[in-house]
Amino acid sequence: MLCTAQAIAGEAQETAFWTMDELMQEMAQVKSSSATFTERKYLAMLKEPLKSSGTLEYTAPGRFEKITLQPKRESMVLDGDRLEVENGSRKRVLSLQEFPEIWALVESIRSTLAGDMQTLARFYVFTLEGQRKHWQLKLLPRDTRMKNMVTAIEISGSDGQIVTIEIREAGGDYSVMKISKGGK
Amino acid sequence: MKGLKARWPVAVWLLFVGICILLVSRIQIGADLNAFLPATPTPAQRLLTEQLRDGMVSRLILVGIEGGTATHRAAASRELAHRLRDEPDFLIVNNGETGSLDRDQAFLVDNRYLLSSAVTPERFTPEGLRSSLENALQLLGSPAGAMVKGIIPRDPSGEVLHLLEGMSGQSQPHTEEGVWMSRENPRALLILQTAAAGYDIDAQQQAVAIINKRFAEVVQSAGVAELQLRLSGPGVFSVEARDNIESISFNFSIITALLVSGLMLLVYRSWAVLAISLLPVVSGALAGIAAVSMGYGVVFGATLGFGITLIGEAVDYAIYFFTHLSPGRPASQALEKIWPTIRLGVLTTICGFAPMLLADFPGLAQLGLFSVVGLIVAVMVARWVLPNLVFAGFAPVAPTMLGSRVIALIAKAPRLRPLLLIALVAALVSIALHRGPVWSEQLASLFPLSVEKQQLDQSMRDDLGAPDVRYLIVASSRERDAVIELSEALGAQLDQMVGDALLTGYDTPARYLPSLKTQQARQAALPEEAELRASLRQALVGLPFRDDLFEPFLQQVAAARSQPLLTPESMRGTNAGLQTESLLARYDDGWRAMLPLRGVTDPDTIRKTFERADGSVVLLDMKTESDALYDSYVREAVALSIIGVLAIFILLFISLRSVRRVATVLLPLAAAVVITLAILLAGGQQLLLFHLVGMLLAVAIGTNYALFFDRESNAEKHDEDTRLTMVSLLVANVSTVMAFGMLALSGVPVLTSIGLTVALGAFLSLLFSAVLMGDRVAR
Repeated sequence: MLCTAQAIAGEAQETAFWTMDELMQEMAQVKSSSATFTERKYLAMLKEPLKSSGTLEYTAPGRFEKITLQPKRESMVLDGDRLEVENGSRKRVLSLQEFPEIWALVESIRSTLAGDMQTLARFYVFTLEGQRKHWQLKLLPRDTRMKNMVTAIEISGSDGQIVTIEIREAGGDYSVMKISKGGK
Repeated sequence: MKGLKARWPVAVWLLFVGICILLVSRIQIGADLNAFLPATPTPAQRLLTEQLRDGMVSRLILVGIEGGTATHRAAASRELAHRLRDEPDFLIVNNGETGSLDRDQAFLVDNRYLLSSAVTPERFTPEGLRSSLENALQLLGSPAGAMVKGIIPRDPSGEVLHLLEGMSGQSQPHTEEGVWMSRENPRALLILQTAAAGYDIDAQQQAVAIINKRFAEVVQSAGVAELQLRLSGPGVFSVEARDNIESISFNFSIITALLVSGLMLLVYRSWAVLAISLLPVVSGALAGIAAVSMGYGVVFGATLGFGITLIGEAVDYAIYFFTHLSPGRPASQALEKIWPTIRLGVLTTICGFAPMLLADFPGLAQLGLFSVVGLIVAVMVARWVLPNLVFAGFAPVAPTMLGSRVIALIAKAPRLRPLLLIALVAALVSIALHRGPVWSEQLASLFPLSVEKQQLDQSMRDDLGAPDVRYLIVASSRERDAVIELSEALGAQLDQMVGDALLTGYDTPARYLPSLKTQQARQAALPEEAELRASLRQALVGLPFRDDLFEPFLQQVAAARSQPLLTPESMRGTNAGLQTESLLARYDDGWRAMLPLRGVTDPDTIRKTFERADGSVVLLDMKTESDALYDSYVREAVALSIIGVLAIFILLFISLRSVRRVATVLLPLAAAVVITLAILLAGGQQLLLFHLVGMLLAVAIGTNYALFFDRESNAEKHDEDTRLTMVSLLVANVSTVMAFGMLALSGVPVLTSIGLTVALGAFLSLLFSAVLMGDRVAR
């Protein structure tokens, strides 16, 4: 009974306008996922873009791992309020509370993955466009200090899967991360 | 002429009281804390004393803003902080706003080449720069990249980041709406550090008043009336305790005076008696305070608190006098017959309290001086001044009427002997079986706070991540710069220990103010511009950084080479300067640097590593040290009390010249003390100094009773005076029990302890004197 209802709803949404509530619900259903990424960062101070690639892993509700494998190994593990960054021999642990800007930045991805609209709304004004199979979530930072660093974040995806994350920084720098589903 | 001659004691007394009033009106009331810090401390105690008196911990004021919505509280926190930052009374005003950090960051950026411990010649070689640049590149690729990219052209070697990392590890309070907020309670939080030392209660009071005033302005301009201010911290408590002791001393004096007056009126039926019955007490109290103020400069609040208890014994003298007035003899001879006994009673009390004068703790010494002077003056007023103030022929009627009834009661008292024996045995057994500490073991117990205040303080400290410094490394040296060099050496070792997880972090004055030597060495490590440019060019080969990107770096290093060195003077007024100031202090014998440690897990290893024989570096464990201090202070109080008791023994032997009589005098007192003690312990109380003082006072009062019983039971014949004496003892006892019973109900822990002990002890002393000696008195 429930299954049929969902199937019918699913068919209807195929073409219909896709709401934020629905996106968040869809995201919240994913309890864990892993993927690979390639990222390009275009910075005014560099002559060529910074390229990197690696893996991403998410476990609901609060754990997010980004392991950069190229060009240099670096791991970034976010768990609750704790952010652990390890590169080479150095390991740093920071509390997000202490760095509101980093917090806002990581929350753009984590809250989206977790379908946590409340947290997302706390840091960003958001607009959703597109359809179920091809949606774009645009995030504008609320905090003025954050605005001085990041002007907008655009996340695009399909169903409960993020495909690209584009971060636009103040002054014209920007980065694009492409995510492709892999592994499990 | 004769009349005038007879009244000279009144004239002397008036003059004396006048002088006392003059002195008392100018007394300075000191913080109680000082009362309990030794005059000749050990080095560790001295450091502890300094910290408790004027260390940064003593200057801490925690501010909570409650009520209203979170937005209201955040706005009020910002506005209050803004107003307080303009007040010179506060060194540090922190509410978690990022604005206050910006200033710190500007200081770090401007002085990074003097402050960063990573500044060495190797760092600016092509290899050193290459490694820095690679790190910078990686950082740019990370989520933190957006935060740091602004500074990279100026600081590719990452000195600012290095400095910021050294400061992390401090757990930050929870932030909401841009300011610190409690997680558990609807409360915005601020931390203030006063410019004045914690022991300076007047200044602390002023600071508290300023906070209240500014807060009232904030509330008014915001128009949110439901916001409330909560304050906590050592200074705040001292101010409150002083106000409390002052107001309670005052109220208690009034209430007691009224009660005792009522009793006097009831017994003596004379307004004249009423008017002058309190003169010995008042004169004694004035003289006592005046003596302390002259001898010590300041009078501690606690001394005043104890002082009011003098009423207990001094009022008795007036009672003895009035009871013995009879129509047949002149007033001046009323006390003649019993004078030797009264005198012995006073001497006994003096013996009991005088050893306190030798105390190393000024609080105890003041108490001794106060009691001795107060009692002597009170008894002299009763003996020589009162007779000149009653009109001729006055004699109270009631005592005579009461006399035979009292004697009848006393005659029956010895029947209670078996009961006394049982009670005594039961008390001894109960004390022997008592579990748990008899004496309270914490210094804090000297300044008992209400449970509500303690909880508020703890809750705010928890909210703020406990700036509750327990471990502190104190480094001393003659010169300021030498003590900073010492701090740098300690810092290097501490960094190692942080790595080994012996602690999580520490503060040091050298963080913002490196020694001149170190600053010079860092400056010397910076290469000349041409050399740096060449090295940088070499380091940049193959890296994607734009050409000319690091022009600001080259310029700023060049400027830093001739930058003026940091001094406390040049830092004055900046946040960093204020924090440095709070960790660096000048004392008579030189300079001290304080390095508060955070998250200590292995104090023993740290102690072993740092402790130096010459005392120039000490790991101070504030808790253990202060408990030890309290312990030594309790031991001194007990030892001096024992000396006092021994002195009383000797005095009684000399006066009574009979072992049997000394024993009969002391037996009821001993029984009273033992049973009182058993009752207090059984009631779940931990003994404080205040109980000891109460016990001494009860013994002093009780000795008078026992001595009178002894006198009458050894008298050849019993007459009207015997009866009057017994009546006077009863009246005196009722007044004492009434007065101290009131004190026991005051609700202030200190006064409750004293009140309970004295009321109980004095009553039992009289009862047991009657039980043990009544048959011989009433024969």
